[in-house]
Amino acid sequence: MSTCEMLDLGLPGVVADGLQVAATVLLNEPMATNTWRMRLGSPELAERMRPGQFFMARPVGLSDPLLGRPFALFDTQMDESGRPVSIDFGYVVVGKLTRWLSQCAIGTQVSVWGPLGNGFGPPAGNHLAIVAGGIGQTPFLPVIRQLLGLQTYGAAPSPAWPKPARISFCYGARSQSYLAGVADFELPGVDVRLATDDGTRGHRGYVTEVLDELLASADLPTSVFCCGPEGMMRATARRCRDAGVPCWVSLETPMACGFGACFSCVTPVRQPQGDWDYRRVCVEGPVFRAEDLVWEQGI
Amino acid sequence: MPDLSVQLNRLRLPNPILVASGTFGYAREMVAYADFRQLGGIIPKTVTPQPRPGNPTPRTVETAGGMLNSIGLDNDGLETFIAKHVQPLLSLGAPIIANVAGKNTDEFVAMARRLDEFPQLAALELNISCPNVSGGVDYGTDPGMAAEVVSAVRGATSLPVIAKLTPNVTSVPLIAKAVADAGADAVSLVNTIQGMAIDWRRRKPVLGNGLGGLSGPAIKPVALRIVWQVAQAVSVPIIGVGGIQSIDDVMEFLVAGATAVQVGTANFYNPTLATNLVGELAVLLTELGCDRVADVVGTLEFPVRR
Repeated sequence: MSTCEMLDLGLPGVVADGLQVAATVLLNEPMATNTWRMRLGSPELAERMRPGQFFMARPVGLSDPLLGRPFALFDTQMDESGRPVSIDFGYVVVGKLTRWLSQCAIGTQVSVWGPLGNGFGPPAGNHLAIVAGGIGQTPFLPVIRQLLGLQTYGAAPSPAWPKPARISFCYGARSQSYLAGVADFELPGVDVRLATDDGTRGHRGYVTEVLDELLASADLPTSVFCCGPEGMMRATARRCRDAGVPCWVSLETPMACGFGACFSCVTPVRQPQGDWDYRRVCVEGPVFRAEDLVWEQGI
Repeated sequence: MPDLSVQLNRLRLPNPILVASGTFGYAREMVAYADFRQLGGIIPKTVTPQPRPGNPTPRTVETAGGMLNSIGLDNDGLETFIAKHVQPLLSLGAPIIANVAGKNTDEFVAMARRLDEFPQLAALELNISCPNVSGGVDYGTDPGMAAEVVSAVRGATSLPVIAKLTPNVTSVPLIAKAVADAGADAVSLVNTIQGMAIDWRRRKPVLGNGLGGLSGPAIKPVALRIVWQVAQAVSVPIIGVGGIQSIDDVMEFLVAGATAVQVGTANFYNPTLATNLVGELAVLLTELGCDRVADVVGTLEFPVRR
């Protein structure tokens, strides 16, 4: 009997085939203002990561920065034989670790561990609306590629996701120069709807106003996936609740380990008894049904 | 192949590399990264008599070479620990040392008595030093109260008893002496150092709890100093903990006088480390021509003032 069987993991996000490796930086380039794309060579990680999962990254051999930071899978590359060999993630330079990342030369070794978290499941119904902001667009590229049948993910591929008739990809940033990787999402079958605070590209205003248009249309979304700043996710969750549309959000909370050991990343989650308990975003999320969350600022 | 086993009074461990409470979850979280069977001991997260939701977020923040935490002993309480975690932990093949915290001696005693029903446990570690829970830290800062808890727990269980002490006192040897005299089989030195991080623009502490405990490489010199001081002053086996992230760090603690060590914060960013250290220790002791761990314990040659 393996250790895994003995343990009866009982947590959806404890990933039994996770691993820690030193991955090599293959590409590190700006995507938008203050926003970068890094490619890490690691077949082990690339063949395991699923849409909506994340991994942790930190420098090899340094004590400052010390802890890893979570990053979502953005894209996976294959070699000629179709074997996954590398992964991309997007990051915004906000602190010492992301600053270190932005200065990494090609060939630098980065300590990474994962896959982590539950990831997204197949959306319900025939119209998926995605609402993204900040760097929260990146997890949705693999979601979309899997839905369109362009790629499968994970060591043991899950059953094919039914392809929705429509995918609306709503993505907002403060200005055109902050929109990152839009071209990656311009795929046949994806309705890309942009918003910028200053109107330099797409709708002038919040991305949630783009969602409002969809929710008021005849072709109402049947599922909403959301990732971005908390205020945006809260506003999206409120709109979906009012419209009766199921909504899943992918949270990012400060975490030290990513695999459930530290109990840092907790968020209040509704319990069957009606009260709430702090639950670990890294192992029980990062993807939650919006209605299961207790939004601390109120919804 | 050197003999890696170590003896801490009544507690015998297959090797001196343990993982510290609060940094290894309930072990199941680490299944992909650690080879449990190789570890000298696993100390799961602190258990309290009743469930505790823990402190408000944010609960951790990185600082220079370390981290502050104010988790607040978030746990589901002793009965859930027993129902859900004890048997799976005992099946892992490493010695399991349950870590408990109570608000008073009665709570410590009640927990010790209940856990005494699991003689397969290797030991109890008493968390009389968590800086994040009021009540806990007081025990660890008063030699009389610390001795009272240890003595009462000794009377309530036949399991070996380890007292985990706080560095947030003027003299750790004073506390260590008190708990050793009260019957502690070993002392774990040290728990986190109380600290804070400030967001001056918001005029607020970064942590939701205001204060937290500092851990990681930043505190290793403090932990080494305390291990050495206690080793000089008190005849009680020491488990060194504080910022260990390499085999050299392990050796520094052993040389300072620790019989065993705990890997803590490094489990968060190098989850395979503790497992690897066991093998590295065997290789290093072989290179040194040492037959057993005890050959290096307490071998520090401190400069003598003329």
